[in-house]
Amino acid sequence: MFAAGGVSSSLGRAFLLVGIIGSLFGALASISSARSRDRTVARLIPRFSVLIFAAAIGAFATMEYAMITRDFSMAYVQKVGSTATPALYNFAAVWSALEGSILMWVLILAGYTVAVCFWLRKKMDDVLTNWAMGVMFIVSTFFFLLSFGPANPFAAGAPGVFDGPGPNPLLQNHILVLFHPPLLYLGYVGVTVPFAFAIGALVTGRVGEGWLLATRRWTLFAWGFLTFGIILGSWWSYEVLGWSGVWAWDPVENASLLPWITATAYIHSVLVQERRGMLRVWNLSLLVSTFSLTILGTFLTRSGVLNSVHAFSESAIGPWLLAFFAIIVIVSIGLIGWRGDRLHAPGSIDSVVSREGAFLINNVLFAIFAFVVLLGTVFPLVIEALQSRSIVVGAPFFDQLVAPIGIALLTLMAIAPVLPWRRASGELLSTRLFWPAWCGIGALALSVLVGATGFMPLLTFALGGFASGSALRQVVLATRRQGLRGFVGRANGGMIVHIGVILIAVALAASNSFTHSQELFLKTGTPAYFSGHSFELIKIVEETTDRAISVKALISIDGGKAYAPAITKYTKVGMNIGTPSVRTGIRGDIYLTLEPPVKQDSGEAHIKVFIKPLLVWLWIGGFLMALGTLLAAFPGRRRKPTDATSALIGSNDVG
Amino acid sequence: MSKSTKLNNKYSWIFMAAFASALLIFGGLRDSGPRSQQDRIDAITMRLACPTCQGESVYVSRASAAEAIRAEVARQVGSGLRTDDETIAYIEQRFGGQVLLLPRSSGIDSLVWALPIAALICGAAALGVVFRKWRTADDGAASAEDSALVEAAMASTNVTDANT
Repeated sequence: MFAAGGVSSSLGRAFLLVGIIGSLFGALASISSARSRDRTVARLIPRFSVLIFAAAIGAFATMEYAMITRDFSMAYVQKVGSTATPALYNFAAVWSALEGSILMWVLILAGYTVAVCFWLRKKMDDVLTNWAMGVMFIVSTFFFLLSFGPANPFAAGAPGVFDGPGPNPLLQNHILVLFHPPLLYLGYVGVTVPFAFAIGALVTGRVGEGWLLATRRWTLFAWGFLTFGIILGSWWSYEVLGWSGVWAWDPVENASLLPWITATAYIHSVLVQERRGMLRVWNLSLLVSTFSLTILGTFLTRSGVLNSVHAFSESAIGPWLLAFFAIIVIVSIGLIGWRGDRLHAPGSIDSVVSREGAFLINNVLFAIFAFVVLLGTVFPLVIEALQSRSIVVGAPFFDQLVAPIGIALLTLMAIAPVLPWRRASGELLSTRLFWPAWCGIGALALSVLVGATGFMPLLTFALGGFASGSALRQVVLATRRQGLRGFVGRANGGMIVHIGVILIAVALAASNSFTHSQELFLKTGTPAYFSGHSFELIKIVEETTDRAISVKALISIDGGKAYAPAITKYTKVGMNIGTPSVRTGIRGDIYLTLEPPVKQDSGEAHIKVFIKPLLVWLWIGGFLMALGTLLAAFPGRRRKPTDATSALIGSNDVG
Repeated sequence: MSKSTKLNNKYSWIFMAAFASALLIFGGLRDSGPRSQQDRIDAITMRLACPTCQGESVYVSRASAAEAIRAEVARQVGSGLRTDDETIAYIEQRFGGQVLLLPRSSGIDSLVWALPIAALICGAAALGVVFRKWRTADDGAASAEDSALVEAAMASTNVTDANT
């Protein structure tokens, strides 16, 4: 069973085996506790969760140890390890290929399992808790098995290897590789928690609202990590790939966006269920979709059926993931069908022009958004299966279809936050939307004034201003009444997230519509001009390290500080990687890339300059989204149960 | 709210709508100046797929096949003989059919365009049906089931009262 190889190899396999057995027994203990109501069995559940977490840490640490000590007896270290990789990138090399990233998934999943167990330590004899833990353990069993079998990171390598190529040069080029994958995985795997509770609620028949409230923060954190992971991924793309873009609609990017879309729909529509008791089936379906899309995304991008910059290589995990995906979907649909009678919603909607009406429209838009992204991603597969011919569905397709959806969502973001529950009168809307609408007009007038053209970008800026007006209105009213506490709670934190989203929409519209580029041939001493800026080549420097030779062109922009776009040749892989250099500004970035060939002593450099308006606001928006998520997770001030439902929250504390 | 403010509000909304439309029309239609050759090259290469790199556009890719197409596009744009669409048709003819990033709108490929529209119609229809159903279904009166629940609850309260 243990492949011949070093100590690390056997130790790692042993840890994974302990993890499989621990997860299996954890699942058995959870389910038997749920059925027998036996408290002694229930007390075992936390122990199994600690056991699998310890096993996962052990396996991951073993892998890190092997990587850090450059144990080239292991196939994985031969593949992504190298004596020349700097320590930090070597640490991150563990998750730079398929087997290691599944191992990281295992670690994070075991971490979530133990965290949920700790959170519910006083409720271990509750049936719903037991079933939820059972689901967590079953999912853990699957991922431990995946890592033990088809995606084994501890396989022995060919003998006589003493060095390797190191990770893909693109993955040892920027510090963000340390953060982007773990954060994204914290998001992907975090979705397992609400999913487990959804299944628990269905099995026990307790489909009331209790479990939703209970898992609200888990969902929110998973969503926040997913959001932040995606933003960091775009940032990495911008800083490393050298085409000045942040999003390429690459299949792996789409795979991370899909669960984000359905999760976003869920965190909105769940409020309708909490408040009005409606949309139960729909919300369960959104949770199931989110979780199954994380698995489907992993299948699409890690099995080799679709190719992308992120796809590591072909592997045997495809059928496993597909089977797991099918089981999740069949079991979930079966359970929802079985509990159909209890899921029937008692409430009703009085008017389309109401908070719940807006949430419904929001959900339909997000559902269409998810459908478009999924369709575009898998359509080439369908065509290949049907007609064995290959086609490409690329960025222009997604851009064309997603732009109108984005406009519709921005419109909704402008109106929905001021809507009351149940119904709104025209007079109320007119009063509440008055100043936000003026913000929109202001944004539009400003854009026209500074020279923006085109209907779509102008509409985006106008709606962006309108929507930020509505979001700010909520925050201003809340802080006026409650002081600093007006920033926390989901309504107020949510509005901060909205402002972040609006900034991102505006930055994307501006940089997609108004980016200009120019190739310049520079000679030392003779500045060249583009778009009102001067570019002067100071000199070309060459740096040689163990792993690479890098050529940098020092270029002074507008006679100021020198920026240094570079081309780095990773000698072991024989691959040239361009590294852009960016002058960041509030109004726009200047993005420089060095184009090959470069000769050190020639005194000449061929560069490409991109002017990217407002791009920095994309990152600011991303940070605001993360901040807003944190604020939303803080408990806000609630209406006292004895107050009239129309009373302003916290209003009677003042008087 | 006094009547005059209401009137003001109504007129200011009309004014706002008119002002916004004027700005949109002016800003949307005004000439943004001639496009530079590089702008044209960028716009064209964003619509072409790099044949060797699976889904990346020529604009994005740094592969040599993409470099070749980029050079050809630059030559075509430089000569100034063809429009953007003609250049794309020319490149497609020269480099083979796999260079289009945008699926065709004919044959089975058109499904990729038709299905999202179908989804939009279904979504809107479902929304309409749901709103209509919800608004008519609940007239506020208690159903037989509700009455039964209330009776059961009353009965159990009586029992506790009797005990205390």
